[in-house]
Amino acid sequence: MVSEKGSLFYEVYEVFSKKTDTSALQHQFSLLAPNQELAFIMAKENFFRREQVADIWVVKREHIKRMSQEEKEALNHLEKNYRETKGYGYLKKKWRQYEQEQLTEKDIMGGGEG
Amino acid sequence: MEISTNERMDHFMNRINDGEKIEADDWMPDDYREALIRLISMHGISEIMGALPEKEWVPKAPTVYRKLAIMAKVQDEMGHGQLLLRVAEDLMEPLGKNRDDIMKDLFSGKLKFHNVFHMKAPTWGDAGVIAWLVDGAAIISQTMMLGTSYGPYGRALKRICAEEVFHAQHGESIIMSLAEGTKEQRALLQDSINRWWSSLLMFFGPRTNAETGHSNQDKNMRYKLRTKTNEQLRQEFLTKYVPRVWALGLTIPDPTLRFDAESSEWKYQQPDWEEFKKIVTGHGPKSKERLALRVQSYEMNSWVREALGTCRISKVTR
Repeated sequence: MVSEKGSLFYEVYEVFSKKTDTSALQHQFSLLAPNQELAFIMAKENFFRREQVADIWVVKREHIKRMSQEEKEALNHLEKNYRETKGYGYLKKKWRQYEQEQLTEKDIMGGGEG
Repeated sequence: MEISTNERMDHFMNRINDGEKIEADDWMPDDYREALIRLISMHGISEIMGALPEKEWVPKAPTVYRKLAIMAKVQDEMGHGQLLLRVAEDLMEPLGKNRDDIMKDLFSGKLKFHNVFHMKAPTWGDAGVIAWLVDGAAIISQTMMLGTSYGPYGRALKRICAEEVFHAQHGESIIMSLAEGTKEQRALLQDSINRWWSSLLMFFGPRTNAETGHSNQDKNMRYKLRTKTNEQLRQEFLTKYVPRVWALGLTIPDPTLRFDAESSEWKYQQPDWEEFKKIVTGHGPKSKERLALRVQSYEMNSWVREALGTCRISKVTR
């Protein structure tokens, strides 16, 4: 039996794609390939035999910095209310006291539009 | 700060019970990893072991349309194998193992594949029954695991299930043609159903440990790898397909088969679980031949892996 332990044939690539020009890039899955060119061919064969696709990226996994479990869990503890509109919810009541409606996100964003 | 194994285990079980998904690089207990490797490598290799004999049907399929359809199905099954083996490999990586080890375990008989792929499939009727009912059974067990606690497996299954629907309909279409065909075609189809019935019942595995001496279903349920028992899945299968087989005027080779309204359960004759044990341990009617087909394909293609895998090295040294 042929033994190919540690063979360069088996390198992990991550596959990303966009369904249409305007959609966001989405992770599809990973695959094994000996090089980028074959990774790309296999990505097409493995994941896009039927579904519509506008763009495909393949990236060698070792070139991606991923988060560890600890790093991911640390994210959950960050309080960022000061960065978000929900941190300013109390203003609605305040404006009422001054007999004014608070400007909604749409009102604020829509200021410059005709 | 040192975290004890107990604390890690509690945290892990809390994550699972909260419906969080475990990812490949997350901490997991050894027996969770082992259960996943066993389940997913068996599933992945079964996809490939099923595709190999199925591809033999391409030249023999009766029309160009059928040839194209079965070729597409074979390609899907190979793709499913690729997806699942990737999931298994990422779990095996910390143990210093890769795809090569999966192949070696298959060839040595350590890694099992599904009972149905050890069986004979001599006629076109069998090709239809396999696509309709074997894939139908596979859909039932795979959709049950879509919500599995292991994230990468769930994502692989989502892709797989979408394609299985096409396989089942391709099977239905073959079955419909034969059922509406000549007397000979109907007889051919009936023969196939008779031949496959006990394998279909076996597909879901034994009801309890009592039948085969061991079963992993309890542990797999606790770890939320699966949510239903073998018997629940088998009952769903019977509810879904028995009335349809009967509606086509075909019979099922079990005179005791009936739906018991009182217990809301199908009553059926148990398949021979001793035989099941023999089949899945590589002593089925086609076990050796199918494995030989796999070894042959692995060896025939080894030059490709060699040529592509070493080209980077040779460029550097020259």
